[in-house]
Amino acid sequence: MDKIKSRVIEIVAEELAVDVDEINEDSSFIDDLGADSLDVVELVMAFEEEFDVEIPDEDAEDIRTVDDAVNYLEDIL
Amino acid sequence: MALKTELCDLLNIEKPIIQGGMAWVATGELAAAVSAAGGLGIIGAGNAPADVIKKEIDKVRKLTDKPFGLNIMLLSPFAEEIIELAITEKIPVITTGAGNPGKHVKRFQAAGSKVVPVVPSVALARRMERLKVDAVIVEGTEAGGHIGELTTMALVPQVIDAISIPVIAAGGIADGRGLAAALTLGAAGVQMGTRFVCAAECTAAEEFKTAILKARDRDAVVTGRSTGHPVRNLKNTLTKRIAKLEQAGTATPEIEELATGRLRAAVIEGDVTEGSVMAGQIAGLIADILPAAEIIENLIQDAEIVIKNNCNNLLN
Repeated sequence: MDKIKSRVIEIVAEELAVDVDEINEDSSFIDDLGADSLDVVELVMAFEEEFDVEIPDEDAEDIRTVDDAVNYLEDIL
Repeated sequence: MALKTELCDLLNIEKPIIQGGMAWVATGELAAAVSAAGGLGIIGAGNAPADVIKKEIDKVRKLTDKPFGLNIMLLSPFAEEIIELAITEKIPVITTGAGNPGKHVKRFQAAGSKVVPVVPSVALARRMERLKVDAVIVEGTEAGGHIGELTTMALVPQVIDAISIPVIAAGGIADGRGLAAALTLGAAGVQMGTRFVCAAECTAAEEFKTAILKARDRDAVVTGRSTGHPVRNLKNTLTKRIAKLEQAGTATPEIEELATGRLRAAVIEGDVTEGSVMAGQIAGLIADILPAAEIIENLIQDAEIVIKNNCNNLLN
């Protein structure tokens, strides 16, 4: 479970070009990490690729923070 | 010989030219003229309610039996009722802007519509392909109105490499050279906005059209970058005022309030000094008001000449 979290944080760091140290569970991609809506689309697609899942738009809309992503992935994996 | 692409078969049109669904500008009259001439005319729903748009749809159907489209602005307060209207009316082609049409794609297609979203990035294009949309419109920052960051020249080939459905290029295209260039990049057709504002059938105020005819290369400036919703419009009193506020670090709500209703003022009332004269960078190239059929005919003829002559000459 913590493994999912660390992989999520790594992807977020890579996709949004921020340091891992700047990211915590509550980090909002848009409000805290400077992403725009198109960055979030790319981020969701990076999650899909990393975890080999398909995240539909309806679900993707609710993934706004690191925790959201971790919880969602834990649920479907 | 006639210039045709896969887009013509997909949308059941004769020429691979689409008229952008510009808010306030793209009325039934303009859409019908473009469709009757063999292109695809599109009604722009903008922020209008369903009853207003229903009248525009009726107008098109009265004027032509050719396919036409409806552009749905997904951020509109009336988006939901426009979506229902599009489904009831079985609009042949639906284009979408300002958002992700994801959850509506299947319903549109079940009603017999082709779905063609405007996409500003490779990632979104790939997601749209996965949703089985019929084609995408890739619009570069050269375009008028609400814009993205990337240029048509850079974004179109990158999207084409990423997906396998037809790509329609938009932004910065107003003549046969632009059409030929887009096709050379691998696009299946083009969408043009600013060029069709200067169509005889376009009902926009004369002042609005004249402003475009008078525009020079550097006149189509971007306002609202600080708000996160940049808009390209012709430089005037309004754009200068917004630029000043943005330089002073004015908060977004104040800038947005200043911009509210300004497109309507320009298009409908002809206020080209205090209104938002939305137009693309190619405005400087547009020098005449012509019937839509002539715009399309010239475009096809010139593109054919460019493709036949220029390309061959380059190899000799």
